[in-house]
Amino acid sequence: MITAGVDIGSTSSKVVVLAEGEKILNKVIIPVGAGSSGPARAFEQSIREVNLSREDIKRVIATGYGRNTFTGADQQITEITCHARGVYELVPGVKTIIDIGGQDAKAIGIGKGGTVSNLIMNDKCAAGTGRFLEVMSRILEINIEDLADLAALAKNEISISNTCTVFAESEVISQLSTGTSREDVAAGIVQSVVGRVAGLVKRIGVQCEVVMTGGVCLNWMIIKVMEKELAVPVIASPMAQLTGALGAALLAFESAS
Amino acid sequence: MTQLKELMSALDNAAKHPAQVINKCLEEKRLMIGCAPEYCPEEIVYAAGMLPVGLWGGLTSIKNANQYFPAFACSLVQTTLELGMRGVYDGLAGVIVPAHCDHLKCFGQDWKVAVPQVRFIPLAHPINRKLEAAVEYLKSEYSRIKSVLEEIGGQPISDQALSEAIEIYNDHRKTLREFTLIARDYCTTITPSLRHNVIKSGYFMDKLEHTQLVNGLIEELKKAPPEAWQGKRVVLTGIMAEPNEILDMFEDYGLAVVDDDLAQESRQFRTDVPQGTDPLEGLARYWSCMEGCSLLYDPQKNRRFMLKRMAEESRADGVVACIMKFCEMEEFDYPIYKKTLEEAKIPLLYLELDLVTPSLEQVRTRIQSFAEMISRKR
Ligand code: SF4
Repeated sequence: MITAGVDIGSTSSKVVVLAEGEKILNKVIIPVGAGSSGPARAFEQSIREVNLSREDIKRVIATGYGRNTFTGADQQITEITCHARGVYELVPGVKTIIDIGGQDAKAIGIGKGGTVSNLIMNDKCAAGTGRFLEVMSRILEINIEDLADLAALAKNEISISNTCTVFAESEVISQLSTGTSREDVAAGIVQSVVGRVAGLVKRIGVQCEVVMTGGVCLNWMIIKVMEKELAVPVIASPMAQLTGALGAALLAFESAS
Repeated sequence: MTQLKELMSALDNAAKHPAQVINKCLEEKRLMIGCAPEYCPEEIVYAAGMLPVGLWGGLTSIKNANQYFPAFACSLVQTTLELGMRGVYDGLAGVIVPAHCDHLKCFGQDWKVAVPQVRFIPLAHPINRKLEAAVEYLKSEYSRIKSVLEEIGGQPISDQALSEAIEIYNDHRKTLREFTLIARDYCTTITPSLRHNVIKSGYFMDKLEHTQLVNGLIEELKKAPPEAWQGKRVVLTGIMAEPNEILDMFEDYGLAVVDDDLAQESRQFRTDVPQGTDPLEGLARYWSCMEGCSLLYDPQKNRRFMLKRMAEESRADGVVACIMKFCEMEEFDYPIYKKTLEEAKIPLLYLELDLVTPSLEQVRTRIQSFAEMISRKR
């Protein structure tokens, strides 16, 4: 049986196509998300590349911010449940998940069998989210992927407010204009995001294994600083931003079997 | 069946379109007094022959009230003042404003200046409410309010009228308690939003009429056998569960509201006003008898145990904290009952609500994931 998970985030669309709930046939990431043609394109591409048609897919589950507007799905499940299922598959000992998305950040407690036992979200403010990193990278005139390497070169990390992206933006500009090095500012940015998200995680209680998912977990510096902040090892999800789509495909398989 | 549908739609409509109910009152030339959140002595207003009307804000954007309020005032006071400034409440002969929290204290002062056409009637409850002196003090506050209402209405309010009003209100409370109990057995018919509207409609109607309608609804419901409910059951706590869209989301994800601990709902009717020879004293004593609300001084924080008991007795699968954004009173209580519920292994969802920028999609994700969480738990 073939199933698929479509994770529609605010900035990207991710699809995982799965055979028998075990074998990944294809995975696709398109860097446009909810409200665009991205989700449909990503889904079509994911099945076309492996010579499948919609009829071959027994069940499709949509998840993520745009899950309710994607018409090609049989069911919608939140990204929280899907990330939990996806991470549980990849790291069965997981107890805590940190998911930093484009628009929000979540701390998820995991109970028996990969079920969600607790959750806290910051969905009101861009501070502590992928958006924050994006805005700051733009000011530093670098690609978001290069932020970690730049931050690693810091000599005197500065402190940046983590309560508001707009204030932090002007803070960064004024730091740069007074001669603070870009490396020190980059480290301050990483620290700011981690500080904010670590606060969320501490509220649900840090329990090992701690796994980080979402695109932001590709930033090795964030993982490193998060480990320091939480004083426990933090594992980056092996499938990073595809973890939610994997969880959705697995849940589709389980509900269709 | 038709009778049931008619009753449900009458109550639902009254909650959704309070203006219709109020216009009728204007036509009948009955004076109306606004009662700001959360606790007002409506019985005194009723005894004066006037209609007490609950003012609980509404989903709207702020264009005027921000002249008076900072952005971090709760949206309940912001939207109520906004509607007042737009003239929505001009038909009222006055508005009683309690000072339960810092936001309400400012609200009263602001109202006086921003909505001068609707007379401001302040009310300050005692904090140390269990003392005998507190009862005495509150009685004097109520006595002052009574004089203001007598002046507005142009006639005295007798003790007999007050006692009768208390009786009518206690009867109304009893009826609503019965309704919330019976609603649990009819979760398909009494959806979360209908349950809310049945209760809310009482803020815009004469309590005698409302009691009669709700009693009729209870009788009609009882004619059919209890409904089997396949979904999950939750208890709501907080100040209020609005905007209405969020209650529809509960329905969308198979969550029934089996009990509530909301200031706008059960907290208003779970305790009766003690009846005795001095009706004003009875009303004042009521404040010291009430329990389990963030606005009531309670060093023991018994609310946490009440909430746990409520969840257990109603066989709820979880509790949803409906926290009005920037409501410090509720935020202070949250970690306390969270701990108790966690110890009892009762799942708890924190929902931050806002009548100005409701961010409904984010709320939807939270409600849906909570529904998924408690469904997969068993
Ligand atoms: S919701 Fe909270 S902050 Fe707002 S008026 Fe009520 S008690 Fe005060």
